[in-house]
Amino acid sequence: MKKRLPGIIFCMVLIFILALLTGCTGAGKEKSTFTFATWAAGEELKEFDAIIEKVNREAGDRYQVEVLSIPSDYYVKLATYIAANKTPDFFWLTQELISKYAQLGAIADLTEMFEDSKGLTPDQYYPGVLRSATYNGRFYGLPWIANPLVVYYNKDLFAAAGVAYPPATGGWTWDELIETAKALTRTEQDDYGNNYQQYGCIVDGWPNIETFIWAGGGDIIAENGVDILLDSEETIQGLTILHKILNAGITPPYREVGSLGSNNVWFEKQRVAMFMGGIQDNFEVKISKLPEKEQFRIGYAPMPVGLDGKAHSFNWTASTVMSRKLAKKQTAYEVMEKITLEFFKWKIASPISGEVERIVEIAPAKEPALETIQICLNNARSANYVPEWNEINHNLWLKLYNAMLNEGDFDYKSQVKAIAEEARKLIANRK
Amino acid sequence: MKKSQIGFLFILPWLLGLIIFTVFPIIAALYISMTDWSIIGQETFIGFRNFGNIFSDPAFYKALLVTMRYAVLAIPLTIIMALLVALSVNNQYKGIGIFRTIFYMPSIVSGVAVAIVFKWILDPSYGALNSLLRIFGITGPNWLYDSAWVLPSYLIMAVWGASGGLYIYLAALKDIPKELYEAATIDGAGWRQKIRYVTLPMLTPILFYNLVIGLIGAFRKFTDAYVLGGAGEEGVFYMVYLYRQAFSFYKMGYATALAWILFVIILGLTLIINYTKKYWVYSERK
Repeated sequence: MKKRLPGIIFCMVLIFILALLTGCTGAGKEKSTFTFATWAAGEELKEFDAIIEKVNREAGDRYQVEVLSIPSDYYVKLATYIAANKTPDFFWLTQELISKYAQLGAIADLTEMFEDSKGLTPDQYYPGVLRSATYNGRFYGLPWIANPLVVYYNKDLFAAAGVAYPPATGGWTWDELIETAKALTRTEQDDYGNNYQQYGCIVDGWPNIETFIWAGGGDIIAENGVDILLDSEETIQGLTILHKILNAGITPPYREVGSLGSNNVWFEKQRVAMFMGGIQDNFEVKISKLPEKEQFRIGYAPMPVGLDGKAHSFNWTASTVMSRKLAKKQTAYEVMEKITLEFFKWKIASPISGEVERIVEIAPAKEPALETIQICLNNARSANYVPEWNEINHNLWLKLYNAMLNEGDFDYKSQVKAIAEEARKLIANRK
Repeated sequence: MKKSQIGFLFILPWLLGLIIFTVFPIIAALYISMTDWSIIGQETFIGFRNFGNIFSDPAFYKALLVTMRYAVLAIPLTIIMALLVALSVNNQYKGIGIFRTIFYMPSIVSGVAVAIVFKWILDPSYGALNSLLRIFGITGPNWLYDSAWVLPSYLIMAVWGASGGLYIYLAALKDIPKELYEAATIDGAGWRQKIRYVTLPMLTPILFYNLVIGLIGAFRKFTDAYVLGGAGEEGVFYMVYLYRQAFSFYKMGYATALAWILFVIILGLTLIINYTKKYWVYSERK
């Protein structure tokens, strides 16, 4: 017996390890309790919990939804859950990752259920918003928010410079934005007699590079998700618009932006006259809380019209997605749809058309912007996200945009061609 | 039950921990490095293809160059700095404890907090460093925004945090027998000779230890590099590159292969340093 002890202990250790490694997948199990993973934290999490509580109350005994809050390192932890066969039943996913998760088989194809639904159908969505939840022409998520870009401007700075306001219904061009910004770029004096530079607009990596590429009529990846358009003439024309803005002296130098904290603070402190931000940005509330002397009137304009005649408005959307491993998908889909419909009443802006008035219920201060917001929602657009998007986008930032921000004479035309070649190689290796 | 078997039972919890949390992950990592695995999908065994891909990736060489360049400069700088600080606070003056605490403080501050503070210090327009330089009529560089100044920026941060090894040096300095200094004094040695011929040789085991630990630390540099970055690819250290491959690009197999390469590099350099030990590290066991 004594001699066998180490052997017995070794077997026990082995069994223990195997037990740890062999997780129950839960496949095939019918569920009435669903887990919903969210990155919401703090106040946002409380609001999220309230929505889930309401859904649970209404569901009674049929099902219950449990919240899984992952407030930090969301995607790292989410990936770990999936790797451990503990995929949350529903989870939020940013638009850039839908195609990746779909390709890897982590999320369910919702196309049939979505198209057959009586509660929420694809044609209700703004087309530019819904596209972000597709991969290979199939639907993998229900977008629950739309946040397209709008041009916020400081009416008081415009008035002081004697510059006409940009049109609230759009139609102005990028050249006009640049000229307006030039007229607003002036040396001003603070209360203590110190000179400071006031800029027309701010570009510091935001708006993202897509905004400028689209302004030239170009794109990063074609709609087929395979062809790279980065080195097209239109894309280079778009980058030339960006180059022009960065070298016209109308935006604070990149190295200076951090001195005030972040780009939006430049607008709030009246150091820049125009800011291209999402419609969700709550400048109205922030400005109203400033001392009266520092407050200013905010105006709104849609994004400028590009060389293709369209006023593309980059839109960030997140979707609710479903684990592919869920056994009873139809019930699960109904739960997911119900929660998504509740989200529409919660966030700015609802991604479905005909609900723009709801913005005022959520944020009354946005009322003067409604007309412009509606135009931006109609023009909302996201990139053609492919599984290799993160790598391509990373290269675009590190090797192109960042370099353009740091070096005025950077040869962006040659660089974008090199990045295009790298992107082609990445896509060629797609499984 | 034999005494040895009882002993074995006592170490069983530790042994389980070692197997589950160390041995198994090492074996798993070896397997993962030979797979095409993105964490959230099924893995495919691809043999040594990840390693082949790594060695044909210019971004790998760039990240390695950035890290090696940093290591070559930061390790000696931090060792010298920590040693100088240790020598200067080694004597028993009134209030010396306060200075020792101040010098040691950087090592107890979170890496993220340090990175954020240095973001302000190195701000080209309103940062403390350039403001200081302006007093002397010098226009400071753009630090992290200028590819030529990214490395010096990280070296400044490394030197600032160098006194983390302070207490090890202080302990080693206290351990040097007083008789050696007395003998040196009798022989007419001044303070320079005492440092050159007594202190430094007696500290060589600690210098060796700090060299190896510094080497590992330099190659594993992550937190501040991840938070601060740097112009272009100059702020992409090896571990940042590895992290992005794993968690931004979902290439866990590739990233694990990168980790093994890093392990081999560190192991190789440590073995080389260990080989040179006999030429410069003092040991009583001759």
